[in-house]
Amino acid sequence: MSYLSIFFQYAGQYLKTRLTYRADMLVEIFSDLLFQAVNLIFILVVFGHTSLLSGWSKDEMVFIYGFFLVPFAIFGAFFNIWDFTDRYIVKGEMDRILTRPIHSLFQIILERMELESLFGVITGLGIMFYSGNKLGLSLHWYDPFVFVVLVAGGALVYAGIFVALASIGFWSDSKTDIMPMMYNIGNYGRYPVNIYNRIIRYVLTWILPFAFVGVYPSAYFLGRDEWYGYAFLTPVIGLIFFGLSVVLWNYGVTKYRGAGN
Amino acid sequence: MDYIIDVKELRKEFTSHSSRSGLKGAFRDLFTRNYTIKTAVDDISLQIKKGEMVGYIGENGAGKSTTIKMLTGILTPTSGHVRVNGMNPHKDREQFVRSIGVVFGQRSQLWWDIAVQESFRLLKKVYNVPDEFYNTHMADVIETLAIEPLLDKPVRKLSLGQRMRCELAAALIHNPPLLFLDEPTIGLDVLVKLKIREFLKEINAKYGTTILLTTHDLSDIEALCERVIMLDEGKIIYDGALRQLRENWGEGKQIQFSFAEEATHAELQSLTHDHLVVWDQGSNASNWTASVENNEDIISAVIGQVVGAKKIADLKIVEITTEEIIRNIYEEGAVRNG
Repeated sequence: MSYLSIFFQYAGQYLKTRLTYRADMLVEIFSDLLFQAVNLIFILVVFGHTSLLSGWSKDEMVFIYGFFLVPFAIFGAFFNIWDFTDRYIVKGEMDRILTRPIHSLFQIILERMELESLFGVITGLGIMFYSGNKLGLSLHWYDPFVFVVLVAGGALVYAGIFVALASIGFWSDSKTDIMPMMYNIGNYGRYPVNIYNRIIRYVLTWILPFAFVGVYPSAYFLGRDEWYGYAFLTPVIGLIFFGLSVVLWNYGVTKYRGAGN
Repeated sequence: MDYIIDVKELRKEFTSHSSRSGLKGAFRDLFTRNYTIKTAVDDISLQIKKGEMVGYIGENGAGKSTTIKMLTGILTPTSGHVRVNGMNPHKDREQFVRSIGVVFGQRSQLWWDIAVQESFRLLKKVYNVPDEFYNTHMADVIETLAIEPLLDKPVRKLSLGQRMRCELAAALIHNPPLLFLDEPTIGLDVLVKLKIREFLKEINAKYGTTILLTTHDLSDIEALCERVIMLDEGKIIYDGALRQLRENWGEGKQIQFSFAEEATHAELQSLTHDHLVVWDQGSNASNWTASVENNEDIISAVIGQVVGAKKIADLKIVEITTEEIIRNIYEEGAVRNG
């Protein structure tokens, strides 16, 4: 309960600071929207030449992309800690974090949140409604609840992978290009996995389970019942991966060496 | 348990790999690495009672910061027993840090972009301090540190001295019984230093706050601490009263001569050959310092002999400062160990 109230205190402070730099915030929201538009155009261009890809239609692909944007926006708002090693380990900011009575990962989430990323949720919902409409999908009363659970699962998958990567910083503070690479791999999750070869499909399902952020949960809403098993596995995979990453993080904290002064 | 800090045989080792030279060496490093273990804190034991103000001193790299980081729960000790405020700092970290305040001189606790009072409000939430207590306690702290006019300014617009006073206030929001200060006066001007010292004395008297302080500035220690703990190469080489340190090591006096013309070591040595005098050259060949025993007869005799033979521009008798005492100890310590 107190964590929730601390969260709101930080969020309030964050908005206050952001609103004093209005221009920055507008630029950021605009560039986010532009990035999403470019990706959407890419999908549309690809489907300008074919109407079906491994049994998926253009509108279904667009729907998956729309769904993907929602957990990705939540991830971007709270778990975008790609610069953790640099900022907290090399510069020693972790010292300060560790002298405060809140879980260290939670504090870093609070300090690094970027609430404007949440605009992606609106774009995502818009795209889903648009393509869903064209596909003639109908909504059940329970679908919004299923949606929330699947989105949470997807966001936790993303969060788990990136928290685990950030934890590496506790052991080695050398620069790696693993973070940008992971962003790229993450993008594969928004295309249907059966267009890839078997090994890639296996990796995207069980090792770096980005498929649970886009295609698997979307399959539920698209009524593709051959994928339902995977769709309902989404929250489970999310909890497992996020749980493991927190365990790794907690262990990493005991290995923290501090920055030399 | 009477002790607020109780440490036995605390040890911290860091492993690092040393790289071989050249391309061939770099290639070999890929497969087998040479690990070197560096002992930053070497089996130290210390006890600190409630209400004590203790100075923790040592050269750079002596292990001061590492000790403080283990005592505050930031680093996990390699081995040894640590109890601070009755808790194990690393194990019960989140519970434990509620009972301490920490100020790192080179690192800010405050948020850079937001007003000081907003930072305070966030910290109040983080430490879950009740409104009533916050209002009375912080009003007091703010008044004593005279930071009222700074409260609505963002931290980045404050001078170092102003920021430091705000840092101190931030560390005291939850009124901790134990305060760790790592270089709290680094880079501050004399007036601010005095103000901060006054403040520390005040909270120590008022709340019985125990204070452990590391500093390069020995005048801080002289002004505040009855007790000093001296660290060298990860080991405690002195733990006791500052007064005693002065009595045991600072027996001698120094006579500083400024001659009207240049003098040589041999010349001065021969002038005072019948007393035990150590001559050291000052900034140039006409400035010399004689270190002698603290005995009026000897001092007078040495001055007499020198003045009789050479023209004098200036003359000063000084007691050996704590700084010099400590430097002497370190020099001897190095001799003893090496």
